[in-house]
Amino acid sequence: MKISGSRLLDLDQEQCYRALQDPSVLERCMPGCRSLVRVGEDTYAMKMKMALASISGLFDGKVRIADRNFPHSFRLLVEGSGRIGFLKGDGLLQLTPENGGTSVGYEGEVRVGGTISAVGQRLMDTTSKMMIKRFFDKLAESLTPPQQ
Amino acid sequence: MIPQEFNYSRPGTVQEAVDLLADGEAKVLAGGMSLIPLMKLRLSAPEHVVDLGRIPDLSRITENGGSLHLGALLTHHQVATSALVQEKCPLIAETASHIGDAQVRNMGTLGGSAAHADPAADYPAALCALEAKVRLVRRDSERVVGIGDFFVDALTTAVEPEEIITELILPVEEAGTGVSYQKLRQPASGFAIVGVAARVRKDGGRVAMARVGVTGLAASAYRATGVEALLEGSEGSQADVAAAAAAVDEGIEAISDLHASSDYRRHVARVYTARAIQAAL
Amino acid sequence: METTVTKKTERLIGKPIRRREDPRLITGTATYVEDIELPGMHYAAVVRSPHPAADIKGIDTGAAEQHPGVVAVYTGKDIDHLGAVPCGISLPDLRIPHHHLLAQDRVYYVGHPVAVVVANDRYIAADAVDLVEVEYEPTDSVSEPEEALEAGAPAVHAEWPDNVAFTHHQEGGDIEKAFAEADVIVKERIVSQRLAPSAMEPRGTVASWNSGDESLTVYSSTQIPHILRTLMAGVLGLPEHKLRVIAPEVGGGFGSKCELYPEEALTAFIAMKIGKPVKWVLTRRDEFLATIHGRGHIDYYELAAKKDGTMLGLKVKIIQDVGSFHMLLTPAMPTLSVLMLPGLYRFKNVHADVVGVFTHRMATDLYRGAGRPEATHGIERMVEVLAAELGMDPVELRTKNFVPPSDFPYDTPMGVSYDSGNYAAILEKAVQTVGYSQLREEQQEARRQGRLMGIGIATYGEICAFGPSPALPTGGWESATVKIEPSGQVTVMTGVSPHGQGSQTTFSQIAADELGVDIDDIVVTHGDTSTVQHGVGTFGSRNTAVGGTALVLAIRELKEKIETYGAMLLESDDVSYAAGVCTCNKTGKTVTLGEIAMTSWTGPTYPANTQPGLVATNYWEPPNFAFPFGAHIVVSEVDRDTGEVAIQRYLAVDDCGKVINPLLVDGQVHGGVAQGLGQALYEQVVYDDTGQLVTGEYMDYALPKAAMVPTIETDRTETPSPVNPLGVKGVGEAGTIAASPAVVNSVVDALSHLGVRHIDMPLTPEKIWKLVQQGGSA
Repeated sequence: MKISGSRLLDLDQEQCYRALQDPSVLERCMPGCRSLVRVGEDTYAMKMKMALASISGLFDGKVRIADRNFPHSFRLLVEGSGRIGFLKGDGLLQLTPENGGTSVGYEGEVRVGGTISAVGQRLMDTTSKMMIKRFFDKLAESLTPPQQ
Repeated sequence: MIPQEFNYSRPGTVQEAVDLLADGEAKVLAGGMSLIPLMKLRLSAPEHVVDLGRIPDLSRITENGGSLHLGALLTHHQVATSALVQEKCPLIAETASHIGDAQVRNMGTLGGSAAHADPAADYPAALCALEAKVRLVRRDSERVVGIGDFFVDALTTAVEPEEIITELILPVEEAGTGVSYQKLRQPASGFAIVGVAARVRKDGGRVAMARVGVTGLAASAYRATGVEALLEGSEGSQADVAAAAAAVDEGIEAISDLHASSDYRRHVARVYTARAIQAAL
Repeated sequence: METTVTKKTERLIGKPIRRREDPRLITGTATYVEDIELPGMHYAAVVRSPHPAADIKGIDTGAAEQHPGVVAVYTGKDIDHLGAVPCGISLPDLRIPHHHLLAQDRVYYVGHPVAVVVANDRYIAADAVDLVEVEYEPTDSVSEPEEALEAGAPAVHAEWPDNVAFTHHQEGGDIEKAFAEADVIVKERIVSQRLAPSAMEPRGTVASWNSGDESLTVYSSTQIPHILRTLMAGVLGLPEHKLRVIAPEVGGGFGSKCELYPEEALTAFIAMKIGKPVKWVLTRRDEFLATIHGRGHIDYYELAAKKDGTMLGLKVKIIQDVGSFHMLLTPAMPTLSVLMLPGLYRFKNVHADVVGVFTHRMATDLYRGAGRPEATHGIERMVEVLAAELGMDPVELRTKNFVPPSDFPYDTPMGVSYDSGNYAAILEKAVQTVGYSQLREEQQEARRQGRLMGIGIATYGEICAFGPSPALPTGGWESATVKIEPSGQVTVMTGVSPHGQGSQTTFSQIAADELGVDIDDIVVTHGDTSTVQHGVGTFGSRNTAVGGTALVLAIRELKEKIETYGAMLLESDDVSYAAGVCTCNKTGKTVTLGEIAMTSWTGPTYPANTQPGLVATNYWEPPNFAFPFGAHIVVSEVDRDTGEVAIQRYLAVDDCGKVINPLLVDGQVHGGVAQGLGQALYEQVVYDDTGQLVTGEYMDYALPKAAMVPTIETDRTETPSPVNPLGVKGVGEAGTIAASPAVVNSVVDALSHLGVRHIDMPLTPEKIWKLVQQGGSA
């Protein structure tokens, strides 16, 4: 399944680039992420609990950052597997300054297998969009300094 | 098709139910039309299931000052066939009659469908068009949420884990209001590829009130306020209806799946919106 | 509903007797595999691959083995000494990959069994499945057969990088000459999509090992208990006489239970290993993944004809999606299509090339119709395409090209001999019944109003009543034993293994008429290799034509013995037996069948040179197949705004030879039409481009529900088959074969004035809407 889109963040490009690669930020913002532990150069082990209403599943996986081109672009590779199936995502993130903030464009492919793909195809499109939205919502929220 | 082990409680009253839910860890079971299949597939593995099925208070139908109160545990069949519902709020009865198949209509519940918020479920279209209110009860308090704030996203509602839906509050339809629910069925599941619920009332040759709810097209059901605005004040001619219906997918990110692409869904939504309005007029 | 009170003198063949199976089925007292409980029962559950193609780097069964209640976990290395899942077909260049019961170092499709867990409780077994850790290294996969044939596609089996599983060529006549002489040649790519057979009862097996006498009893939901026994004995290395297979009540199969599946053999293996009875029943979810699929054809057709509509020849290239392994009859499926390519038409030039293709998917094999629906869909679509090209009425075009009644038996260019038929007459009957010319007028009127009304015709011939033995790796005969019990009641043991067909009813009717006894005095049993003599099984619309004939012949042999006993008791040498009574033709004195039977078993004296007892067994091999035929007409209307199809009329006129029970024939037609209509409008097994099965439940796999099936009008002609003494042909698959082209022809007809010539199944509203859009507002 192909996914693409963009999201405007209220941060400058370099801040944005750093935030998107900061494991503590990713841990906080990736939907369902329980822990993100560095296991090597640009590679992290991830535990996540995917939850969508009644549907839930634990995934063990890996997050890898590649093809860094500061502060313009990088690739994010995510894979995880659990009892209810597996998922594998490969996306290119491109950052461009826009209206004083930064537009984060993403384009990639998500592969899903196992029970979730066999019985959940009609919700796949909606769910992936929702997850991406939640990620950016959290990101925007966590990066915006609290208003006094 | 074998679920994981879980604890099971069957409260006899609403109070017992919300006490059991107070820790926010239990999952509510109503008719089981969504939860049980998910559990059998092990896509859902709640540790504690609270079965509301034996709470008698939750299956009442009462009329109260211009509102119809429908208990959350009413089955689709009960809603579809109740003479009172058919008379006072025909749109919800008609919608109920289109849900799934006979087995689903005899087991599935109004509150369960609303709480599950499947993007393709039928009821949410009608609930949006009816501007329904949802009563949510927890251990120490209760609140009433308007439908606009209730459906948040796909499979996501305003219901908190400690809460249950006790009833849906619908308006008693004013004389002269026409209603209709029209859907394109997904042939496997019986869900709506697109479903449109319409309420229209004419006054003095003009459309005085129009409400349109849409399911299946977006991640969650919504009120097509653009359609309503175009229709209200018009004569409700065929051209007016067509022009208004064309606005049904404005600003909407349309779903795509195996059964229908987003482009086709958009098109069908316009066709069915026009049909639902025509039938209601 | 009509019922018939039976009397000994009344003939039952041809009467709508209600199904004798139904009381137990509808009161829940039938015994399916799931209902079998044995002391000490254990439960097996299978760990399946979530990947279409991957190397197995390691399997950690530790956590599962330590889970309380789990007694064993087996993986590929535990079973590598056992035989392979068998393929029973031979073709000259057939490639058969070794199909282990459990994956060895690689998986080849989503759902591929990787390990099996055994526990003393089925819930524990299911929990333990989740505890088996398999480390996979996914590799590239290929899901679409045409992509698999492209150079550089991932090889499903490394030893055959072209992914060709087999090829097959057959031709008749002179195709080059036919095409050279043609005025028109029409071409079309026609897909018969993968389908899930969807038997109501999922597959399941119970196995019980007796270590004392080293014998194994296997209950399995199968259509072929005797064949299963031979195959399973081979896989397990167990002497066949130590293995008893029982097909208990079987809740449908549609061909999908005509196999030896890995799980059946695994269940038996486990029972022998742990010395306890083991039950394994497939979930519906796994049924989609790991039960064979049907169809899976991509076919390229070219039909050559004269301007006047005379069809000259047909060239076809068939691409059969095999999946990753062959099952029992997989390679035979497209070869059956080839046999039926000419349909009911008399052109003599046919050229067919088949290629079977390995893909990273579950295997395809026989599903109701098995190769014939694809062929019928092809030729019946091509006739319509030709009719449109020539501007001819499709009824006229068909009638012009039918094999005439005077030509039977008719030798086709594909080397088979159609037994009997009158094709023009059955189409004429359908045309008259449906009011064809008036419908065409209504269609003109509808078009003037801007409505899209279609009239679809499909005629079909099918090859069934399998069959002469050279056509089947199993032998093409069938058997019956008839025993008159001492009290005079009749026990029939048939070698067929009905699983919903109602053969206990039809065979009772046949036996009642042949023996002249009350139908309530007859019991028909089947499906147990220890009690039934031997048998082939139930598939290919063969029960009545082949098994019924064996029954008739066994009874006829028995009647001679009855008369021998009757003659002794009546002290006469001139007796005749009829209607349950043996009569001395000279004195008019009689003895009843009951008196004869008691004497035959208990004596004290027996006729000279005659054995005690009234039992006869017959094994009958038919000299030919039988070829039913028919004409179905569908009236439909397409919603031009949404592309939705509404079927307004469905008329089925079928000729299945002599009818034993019209109620059951109608039932078979109804069920078959529902399945064919399901293929035409709704059903498809979909693997996405990463090889994942995305129609993994009935949430997305659209089986037609009762409310989605229109009223089916049925009628018949009755042309007896000369192949068997009953004159029957077969009707188990006919409806399925006719329905898909009839429905598609109807919808294409509705859109024909917009320039539409072909639509691939299923006819989803979106597909049709797009075509309407492209056709403008004509």
